[in-house]
Parts: sequence; structure tokens; C-alpha cells
Amino acid sequence: MAHDPRHTPHEFHIEEEKGLTWFERLYVPAILRGLAVTTKHFFANLFGDRDPNPQVVYRKGTLGNAVSTVQYPEEKIPYPVGYRGLHRLVPREDGKPRCVACYMCATVCPAQCIYIEAGEYADDPIEKYPTTFVIDELRCVVCGLCVEACPKDAIRMDTFTHTPPEYRRDGFVYPVERLLKGPAVGYPSDPWVKRPDSKQPPQHVPFHGLAKHSTEPVAPKAKHPVGPAHPERPVFQEADLPKPLAVNDPKR
Amino acid sequence: MRAALMTTVIAGVLALCLGLVAAFYWLAAFLGVASEALFGAGRAYIGLAVANTVTLVLVVVMVIASLLTVAERKWSSMMQDRIGPNRARLAIIPGLKNRSLGGIPHFMADGLKMLTKEDTIPAQASRGLFALAPMLAFGPVFVLFAVVPVAPAIPAADIPGIAGIASSWGVNASFPVALTVAPNLDIGLLFIFALSSIAVYGTSLAGWASNNKLALLGGVRGASQMIAYEVALGLSLVGCMMAFSSLRLDQMTAAQSAGLFGGALPAWGLFLQPAGFLLFFAAAFAETKRAPFDAPEGESEVVGYFVEYSGMRFGMFMISEFVEIVVLSAIVTSIFLGGYHLPLPPAWGVEPWIAAHWGSFALGAIYGLCFLMKLAVMIWVQLLIRWSLLRFRYDQIQTLGWKILLPLALANLLVTGVLILLDQSLDLLGIVGLAELALLIGITVLYPAKRPASVRYSGQPLAAQAPGAHGH
Repeated sequence: MAHDPRHTPHEFHIEEEKGLTWFERLYVPAILRGLAVTTKHFFANLFGDRDPNPQVVYRKGTLGNAVSTVQYPEEKIPYPVGYRGLHRLVPREDGKPRCVACYMCATVCPAQCIYIEAGEYADDPIEKYPTTFVIDELRCVVCGLCVEACPKDAIRMDTFTHTPPEYRRDGFVYPVERLLKGPAVGYPSDPWVKRPDSKQPPQHVPFHGLAKHSTEPVAPKAKHPVGPAHPERPVFQEADLPKPLAVNDPKR
Repeated sequence: MRAALMTTVIAGVLALCLGLVAAFYWLAAFLGVASEALFGAGRAYIGLAVANTVTLVLVVVMVIASLLTVAERKWSSMMQDRIGPNRARLAIIPGLKNRSLGGIPHFMADGLKMLTKEDTIPAQASRGLFALAPMLAFGPVFVLFAVVPVAPAIPAADIPGIAGIASSWGVNASFPVALTVAPNLDIGLLFIFALSSIAVYGTSLAGWASNNKLALLGGVRGASQMIAYEVALGLSLVGCMMAFSSLRLDQMTAAQSAGLFGGALPAWGLFLQPAGFLLFFAAAFAETKRAPFDAPEGESEVVGYFVEYSGMRFGMFMISEFVEIVVLSAIVTSIFLGGYHLPLPPAWGVEPWIAAHWGSFALGAIYGLCFLMKLAVMIWVQLLIRWSLLRFRYDQIQTLGWKILLPLALANLLVTGVLILLDQSLDLLGIVGLAELALLIGITVLYPAKRPASVRYSGQPLAAQAPGAHGH
């Protein structure tokens, strides 16, 4: 192999292990210095207040308290923007699902966890609606393809929660009643808004963005009560997020 | 907020300890009077021994040792910027349903767990020795506390209420009451050395009786480590024996109330024998088999002599370690930190003032509180060391014991002997001791810290090099 001129041998060298210096061989002073470090941490954490900020790197405890634990059930680290949480079926303003039972999500789903049966509104011959819309959250691989495939913005993963635990497997099979929740979404282009007899106000909710709203179920007929098994969603504010690094930031 | 809370808690603990010591004095005097009434005059020592055994060994040592199981985890968490155990709850008490109480309920949960765990014995184990080993580890360390003077002797009649009880029972309350289980044991330190050596039988037997190669190796490691440090342990204290002219811990403690340099400095063993202190502390630390000397146990990696033990048998090994911590702290406090004396120069005359104005009972209670506080500080220092230093390799342990501690102890012995011979008032010994301390602190503070640079770039600084020149 030809000599690479960039590999000049004197550029850097690894020093031989020289053993300990005379100071280190005394041991006791070095040990005392080490103990001083531990002592400092001990008293700072004993007398200082812990900052419970879930963004650990921004914590500033009083008196130098540097505890970095996040007490999980009580404190939660906010999820990043674009986090794919539990699915929801997006309601219209009148509370019905936006879904028109086109089977796009069920078709694209690689885990085949969505099952849909279509029906028709008696008073509306144009759009279909799902008489059954079931997601098996245990089969779901949280890939988000259903959200991308949906032509009606009817399924989203912006709930910022995990699938809550259940005692039975069939508890993870979510029917429409558990999926239909969160704020209503409407677009001026929605056909049911454009129709002359529509009484729904045209409203625009941006697709991208943070869930600044409550995502409690809309329909009160939910079979599964919202309780301890369904923990509160994290209070999520933009100020909590880590600041993105500048393009020319050397830490990038 | 937390600072105020912690200060309050510490003040509360201090007040509690003061009250406890007073109660211990009162109970000892009461039982002394009772035994005089029961067994005849001059038999107060029976009641005193019973009271001191119960209060000092069972209450002080056992309660501190149990609390140490929590303190070890909680303090280590504070040293490592963690929160530590805080999930156990005393939910049965109404007001405490959602209070972690600083994690203290964990020691009850631990005890309950230990007691209810299955107690497995390996099929091929030597059953009798297997059962004996934890007791041999557990028993001797308790006995060591017998010679530790927690608080000095005061006349029983000075304790409030005792004189009335004594006269109503027709007894003369003229005996002294000391918070020491065995106050007049002349062999003192030799008793400690003799009984602390018995603990090695627990270690070795546990390793051997388990019929497990790893346990046997751990037991052998433990035995050889304890033998290696036994010599340095004894020799490091000989200097103190010479300086205080006694083997008895209570006399050594009393001797430390004398002042160096005309009372400007208490004649603590730490000032007279700083080298002896470091050597004894290191050797005794190795005897307790805790990190950084925990090669015999090595729970996480090189499993040790109690690998086959479970349930309360393991718990006895664990508790005996914590008891060793308490006992070691008590011995260090008695010999090197002035025992129960206040950490003030004798020239100020605080202790005689308290005795004259508040009575000897108040002075005794304050002495006991002072001892407990020094005890707590030394316990804390041991846990601090345990959570700061890494485990020594096995050959390093032997090197430290035989090649460093033993020669240093002998040299210290020689120097101490010469200095005491030259100056009987110990002032010269104090000057040399303070010089040693000043040298140690000076080196520690002033010597510049230098980080080892294993990889160092030569020539120009990094930024000046051509891009990619230091590359792959």
C-alpha cells in the first residue's frame, strides 16, 4: 500500500503509560480530593431543592442540587413534535367521524391491524361512513402509514399518549367509541361543508402542529371509562422543548 | 425550602438523641436501684448491665444499623445525584398515605422481605456450619460495643427522681451510672481485637459450608484479607495506648479531655496520632469488608462467601456489616475524636461550667449527645468512602496491608515512642501530629491537579492542522 502523505507518523502519538506520579502514589491526598467531590454533591442534594423540570438538561436546582431523576408517573418528559402516539379518529364539527370508509388505511397498514366495515348515512347518499372501525393496538407497529394514507385527515396519531395497559387482550382492540376523540377538524374543501344545506361553519385547523387542546373523547358513550389506566396527557408547551441548534453551531 | 426542612429534621434528631441519652441514664439508674433493692447493697451493677445492654446494644446499635440500610442507599443516591428509595409507604397510618418520609419506611419493608423470603440451604451444604456461620458473623460485632463508653459515670443521686425512688425502697443510691455495658474491663482494646478476629470464622465458615467453589474462594479471600489487616490494626493503635497510658476505652476517652499546649487544643488522638488514625481507619475498614475492600463479597461481580445465603441468614451478614460500621465509628470516636467530650478547647472551661450550673446529669446527657453526633459523622464518613472509592484489586489489598500499612504502623510506633520519651506532656507529640496533619492538608489543597493525557497532539494546535490531516 502506497504511503499516504496525510498519515505522517509525527502528527500525534500515544504516550506510554508512565504509572502514577508521586502525588498519586501518596493516595491519601487524592482520596481526600475525591471525598471532597462526593461531599459537595451530598450536601448540595441534601439541602438544595430539586428542580422537577422534565427537560433534565435545563434543570436548575437551588444550592446546586443536581438530581437528574425524572420521577416517572408524576413527572413525564414531553414527547417531541411529530411523536406518533395512540391513534384517534378525527371528528367533524357535528361529532361524526371524518372517515369515509375508503379502506386506504386498512390497505396500507403493514400490520393489518385496522378493520373497517362501511355503511351509508340515511340522510346523506354521497359519503360513506364506517359502521365498524377497529384498530388492534397490540398489532399496530406505530408506523404512521395510516395517517399518511388517509385522504380525509380522518385518522391522526397526535394524542401524545401510549397505549394504556389493559388486563385483557380484547381491551386493546379499540372500537370507534374509543378512537373518536379530540378536537373536531374541518376544511373549507370538505364536501359536507360545501353543500348548500350545510350548517357547519368552514373552519381550518392546521394539520401540522402541537396538540394544544384536550384530547378527551367526544362521545360520552365510551364503553371504557377514562380512569387511572388512562393517565393524563403531558402538559406540552413549546417552551419546554429543547432549542434546535443553529446551522453553524459547532455542536451540531 | 428543603434546606429549612433538613435543618429542622437535623435539629429534631439532635433533640431526640439528647432525650434518649437522658432516658438511658434514668433507666440505668432506675434498674440499678431496683437491683440493689432486689439483690442487696452493692449489686447495682446487675441492673446497670441489663439496662445498658438493652439501651446501648439493642437500641443504639441495632436501630442505627437498621436505619443504615436505608441511609446507605439514600446517602449514596445523594452523592450520585439521584433521588434514592422513596416508594415505600406507611399507608396504614392515615396521615402518611402519600408521604415517602425520606425513604425511611424502606427498612421495615426490607426487614419484612428478609423475614418472609424462602430460606434455601444447598443440598450438599454442611448444614450445621451453614447455620452457624451467620451467627458467628453477627454475634461478635455486637459484643464489641460493650467496652465503648457512650457517656461517662455520674452519681446516681444526681439523676432526677432516682434519689426519691431509692429512699422509698430503702436503698442507698450512691453508685455511679455510666452508659457503658462493661465499664471496668481492664483489657479494653485487647477485648476488641480478640473478638473482632472471631468474625473471620463467620466468613470462612460461610464460604466453606456452602459447598460452592465461588463461595469458598470468597471465604478464603475474606480470611486472608482479615489476617493481613489484623496486624496493622493492632499496631496502629499501640501509639494511642502509649500516649494515653491505658488499654481501657473509658480511660483513653478521659485522657483526651486534657489539653495540649496549655489547653489550647483538646488532646484528641487525631491530633496526637494522625498517622495512627489513618492506618487504623484503613485497616478497620478492610476488616469490615466493605468497599473499597469488598473483594470477599463482590456481590455484583466476583460473588463472595455468602452467595448461597438467602432470607434472614443473608440479612444477618448484611446487618453485621452495618453493626461493624457502627462499632468501628464508636471505637474511632472514643480513641481519636475525644469520645464523648465536647469538641472545644479545654481552656474555655465549658464542661466544668455546665457541670457547675446545670448539674452533672445535664452534662452527662450532653456528653452522650456529643458522642452520638461524632458517631454519626464517622458513620457518614465511612459511607462517603464506600461510595467514593473503587474496589481494590485483590493484590492491591494485600500490598496495602503488608507493604504499606504494616511498615507505616511500625514507623509510627517508633516515632511515637521516641516523642513520648522526650516529652511526657505529649506537647511534642501534638506538634508533630499537627505538622503531619498540616502537611497532608497542604498537599491535598495546594498540589495542582493534573489530568493524565494519554493521547496528546504534537506540533501545532488542532485548529491549525490541515483539514483531514488527523483523519482516518
